[in-house]
Amino acid sequence: MSTLMKGNFTPAHNVEDAPQQADTLEQRFEKEALKKLGGSIAFVSKKKVLWGDEADNKDEPE
Amino acid sequence: MAKILFVNPVVREEDDPRHVPYGIALLAAIAIRDGHLVQVYDENAWRKGAQVLHSVFNADRWDVIAIGGITTAYASIKAIVQQARQECPNATIVLGGGVLTSLPREMMGFLPEVDVGVIGEGFITFPEILSMIDADARDWASIDGTISRTADGGLFISGQRALLQDLDSLPYPAWDLFPLEEVYFPNSQVLFSEEGMLARRRLDINMSYGCSLVCKYCYHLGIAGDMRYETDENQETQVAFDQPKNYTRSIRYHSPEYVVGLVKYAREKYNIDFVVFLDENLMTMDQYSKRTWMSEICRLWVAAGLQPTCIRDGVEHDEHCTGVHWSGTSHATLCNPEILKIMRNAGCSHLVYGYESFARHVMKTIGKGATPQTNMRSFFWTLEAGIRPIPNQIIGFPNEDFAAIYDNMEAWKKLGIVVKPFFATPYPGSEWFTVYRNRILEQYDGDLESYLLDLGDATRITAVISHNFNAVELLGLRELMLNFDYKRIRAYEQYWRKNHGIQPGEPSTLYRDPVQEVAVTRITQQKLATG
Repeated sequence: MSTLMKGNFTPAHNVEDAPQQADTLEQRFEKEALKKLGGSIAFVSKKKVLWGDEADNKDEPE
Repeated sequence: MAKILFVNPVVREEDDPRHVPYGIALLAAIAIRDGHLVQVYDENAWRKGAQVLHSVFNADRWDVIAIGGITTAYASIKAIVQQARQECPNATIVLGGGVLTSLPREMMGFLPEVDVGVIGEGFITFPEILSMIDADARDWASIDGTISRTADGGLFISGQRALLQDLDSLPYPAWDLFPLEEVYFPNSQVLFSEEGMLARRRLDINMSYGCSLVCKYCYHLGIAGDMRYETDENQETQVAFDQPKNYTRSIRYHSPEYVVGLVKYAREKYNIDFVVFLDENLMTMDQYSKRTWMSEICRLWVAAGLQPTCIRDGVEHDEHCTGVHWSGTSHATLCNPEILKIMRNAGCSHLVYGYESFARHVMKTIGKGATPQTNMRSFFWTLEAGIRPIPNQIIGFPNEDFAAIYDNMEAWKKLGIVVKPFFATPYPGSEWFTVYRNRILEQYDGDLESYLLDLGDATRITAVISHNFNAVELLGLRELMLNFDYKRIRAYEQYWRKNHGIQPGEPSTLYRDPVQEVAVTRITQQKLATG
């Protein structure tokens, strides 16, 4: 029986816990780095990167 | 009897869940006392999201889904009531707490899923709602302290609910219904004192309701007797709080016997080692009781065997200490050395002081009843008693200026204060919210809901009410203050004076009395905001 909900009677249905997904290594790293953010501690949040079209980044011909 | 689901919404998402919601714990206890069937789901503790909420809402056939919290829980409350309405179309959704009380009409508009709102204290109103559900009736308008919907799509505010006077008639909070072992006890630590840091099994208790002071940034949302019902030009009831020169207060507190009895119960049942007293201002109560209340609590505390052994034996606190340490709130002008020593003897480890500012001209405008001198006096009295004073500071007051910034930095240096000030924030229900409502809305494109969603615990900047500094300036100045960077602040002051045409030697302020600036009444302001 789940203990997510507590009360003075037994509800008709059990409360199902959501499957716990462990943090990936990437998530763990970003969380830890965020706590120390500043100075040389900076990082790229990979999920937030907007990848540009490579062609857009090419230098214009002289 | 009614089948009730209480849901505690997420608050302060950036931090771990640390506080059992005291109001919900009391209302759950009241509902159980009255014979109802109660379940509590604490989303703030578990933070499991919509999937588990789906399971919670479908765990039974709920008569009532009750939710409440402070204004900063609004985003979570909005998501929860939307899902609740979708999944439990026949349940009565009841919303209470500060989020509803501060802006009842606006909140019922923002949250059409809510059937009935509880304005102010719910100790009597909520059980009456449950009784009506048991009677299979829905005549919310006949219950004082509610806001409900009318048949024509309008809103109706019933009569004002009187405050409960016999607080000792309240049952003990239903702490059992919250995940103490799973969530709250592991997050017991409070980093305000050595004893708080070592706390392993902490609970919070409210010994009193109200405060005699009229701080313009503070909100009490009815429980301090600060709420008034007014009738507007359309004969509609509007809820009003502190306004300039219009304040009402009611002071209420539990008996010392109730307080110590509750702590003893918590000690015996949960083996607690620390109590945070959530009261707005313990010293208000002590003064109101002619200096009998706090000392009697402390006397009974020791007599009940709750005094920490480190204090009894005169040794340094460590993990082996038994007994119950505690903390609370004090006030610079209302405390005295005698009571502080008595409190320390009973196990008080730290006291939160809203010192706010060490600038006399700022303190004069905030309604606190304290001065830089009383701040300093209480600071040393508290240290001498062996208690850590927690010297809260605020930056961005309406008349905050460069002189105030220098005054504060001098005081921090002199007193060894290490602090990152809060930003002055006009929370709904405060006098500042009333006075500066238009100015706040201008900063959110006229969208009140955007402001509510932006509000946090004032460590982050939201609506600015400073007459002298904008958000960028406040953020920069706070950073420079922390580093005692007088050189750059003075350089910026010259730049600021030049920009605003203020000569060296003149006060560095553009401040004008905000009350004079308010051209329309509060009620008209509300109409402008809500269209």
